[in-house]
Amino acid sequence: MSITASGAQSTETPVGAVAAPVRRLANWLISVHHATIGASLLVGAAVWLLVASAVGAVLGVDRLDAGSATVSADALTQLFSLHRYALVFGVAAPAMLGVVVLSLPSQLHAANLSLPRLAAFGWWSWLVGSVVVLASYLGNGGPGGGDAQYVETYLLGLGIVLVALVVIAVSIAATVMTRRNGQRLGDVPVGAFAGLVTAIGVTLTLPVALGTLVYVWLDFVNARVAFGGTDLIDSWLGWVMREPHTLLVVVPALGVLADAAVRTARSRQPLRGVVLIGVGISLSVVASSATQQAHVFAVGETPFGTLQSFVPYALFNLVPLLAPLVVVSLSLLALRAGTPGISGAFVASFLGVGMIFTGLAGSAAMHLDALGIVGTVFAEATVVYVVYGAVLAAMGGIALHAGSVTGRALPDGKVVLVALLGFIATVLASLPHYVAGFLDQPANAASGYDDAGVVGVANLLVAVGHALMLVTVLAFVALVVGSRRGNVASDRYRTEAA
Amino acid sequence: MTAPALTAGPARRTSTVFVATAFVAAAASMLMGSMLAMWLDFRAKAPTRVASDGVSLIKDWLKKDVAIPEVAATTLMFTFVIACVMAQWAVYSARRGDKSHTTLALGITMFTGLAIINAQVALWMQIDLVLRNDAYETMFYAITGTMMAIIVSAVVYSFVAMFRVLAGRGADHDVLRAHSLYWYAVSGMFAAMWFVVYVQK
Repeated sequence: MSITASGAQSTETPVGAVAAPVRRLANWLISVHHATIGASLLVGAAVWLLVASAVGAVLGVDRLDAGSATVSADALTQLFSLHRYALVFGVAAPAMLGVVVLSLPSQLHAANLSLPRLAAFGWWSWLVGSVVVLASYLGNGGPGGGDAQYVETYLLGLGIVLVALVVIAVSIAATVMTRRNGQRLGDVPVGAFAGLVTAIGVTLTLPVALGTLVYVWLDFVNARVAFGGTDLIDSWLGWVMREPHTLLVVVPALGVLADAAVRTARSRQPLRGVVLIGVGISLSVVASSATQQAHVFAVGETPFGTLQSFVPYALFNLVPLLAPLVVVSLSLLALRAGTPGISGAFVASFLGVGMIFTGLAGSAAMHLDALGIVGTVFAEATVVYVVYGAVLAAMGGIALHAGSVTGRALPDGKVVLVALLGFIATVLASLPHYVAGFLDQPANAASGYDDAGVVGVANLLVAVGHALMLVTVLAFVALVVGSRRGNVASDRYRTEAA
Repeated sequence: MTAPALTAGPARRTSTVFVATAFVAAAASMLMGSMLAMWLDFRAKAPTRVASDGVSLIKDWLKKDVAIPEVAATTLMFTFVIACVMAQWAVYSARRGDKSHTTLALGITMFTGLAIINAQVALWMQIDLVLRNDAYETMFYAITGTMMAIIVSAVVYSFVAMFRVLAGRGADHDVLRAHSLYWYAVSGMFAAMWFVVYVQK
């Protein structure tokens, strides 16, 4: 028996006849250790990010010429749908939950997660569901798919993924609620608190999507009179892959930023209670997700009519904006209160949360009737902003906790460089579509717009941005792998973490 | 000489199983709640048309020739009360260290759950709806089928809890408290579904 860097006991026994890689594989398959489960989720998210960025680049190239199609029109709906699925359930959800699972026990000074087998079951279920979803797209399934059996396969895979994420969330919530070692809930690190908030959000909203999925599936295999055919799947379930719901998934990014600021500045968090409230505000999204509604604000004919339109709009679109705003502001305050400095974890998570805020602000703007940008590529850009922002924050989270979890910290300077590269990639992959949205480029379409001038340049930049994000992910993976093999880097976050 | 003051004992650790069960119950409640909300929305938006008499309006929702077996549904509803009482009895017996009564209570809870499943199947056979024609049929089977899956999970929970008590883990009260919480939650969900689907239709 040996002790790993994180303090967990490893029961591997030397078996001469079995090759080390096989033994490692066997250990990975049966592992219920939080570091293994968290790392597996992060690797899964990285693989899906390669898929998402590649699909995003292909779609960007396809949109360069609105007259000729690189991708056949039949496959286009599926490709757009795959892109959304890959971004939200392939990348953002496992990356954020992965960071929480990886770091939560060390944040709470616990040996492992509560119900670790449940968490492992969730990870494996997510993997199976993801593979099923990908297979369904390859077999002409998914929303807009032409093969009925593969469309059913898509619904099955999506159902498995939803259940898997809820299962992981339950394990996270149980850990924060029961393994605080005597700490009050308000005293736990903000990262752990954010994990609890996202777990509550996921637990309360994804079952809503699952209920809709059951209806859609049963209708699809039978009458197809109530919920329509394949083209309407996204209209019933699309809300789960759009803002503001995505905020619930990426709440851990706020926790990473708050913790990174404190540890970088080596200070105490000023107005810590307000930070926790800021993170908790994210749960206001549950209202819009549970009702599956998006409210557009339009000026009414009477003041009361305007107010009637504004209140739900503000509740569903403006209130969630406060969450990243409060955390970013108070993180800067924490930095100012201590020894200001730059660290990889802080830069990555700060840029990430900034991108998340930009995506949410864009979503709020999109729901203003006066702007007239509903149904344009503006909506696609908001998702990309939030998800790529979550990716940056996940990189920050890994940099923040790698030392305490694995004993091998990441080199700080290189993390900063990769984060800056990811920031440029995120801006390129989304900001041009904000502009193109105002120029009426339609969403989920590669034709029906003027591809000359600004719109053409915007689509080119978006394709470059997605390709650059692909490079960013590969660079960060190389950084992590390199840190496992090279000299041990000093862990600047360790003092406070211990 | 005064006796030294006793220090406070360690704070009672919150039960992991209880918390996890509460979260699962919340998730299941949101699942059923969302399905009921969509049911109500579809029912409210069901198109109306003029009947053959040219005067009255017909809502295209529940067909006239479909009879909901209300007696069976209401009996089903009140069977849940028995399951809840039995689940709570298991907690009470376990606290008193009464293993035989704990086992008996969990056994009755489990068999009550099986009886509920049996009654639901009988109700499906009585109502004899064909799942091919309209929105009502699709949604009826979707919502009652999902409820059935949740009931099955509660029965499995009862079986596992009973197995643990039989295997000598009767002192683990947290599992039994969590088990009873789950049955309360499932009963609440069924009560809501019963009222919307079987009473209001």
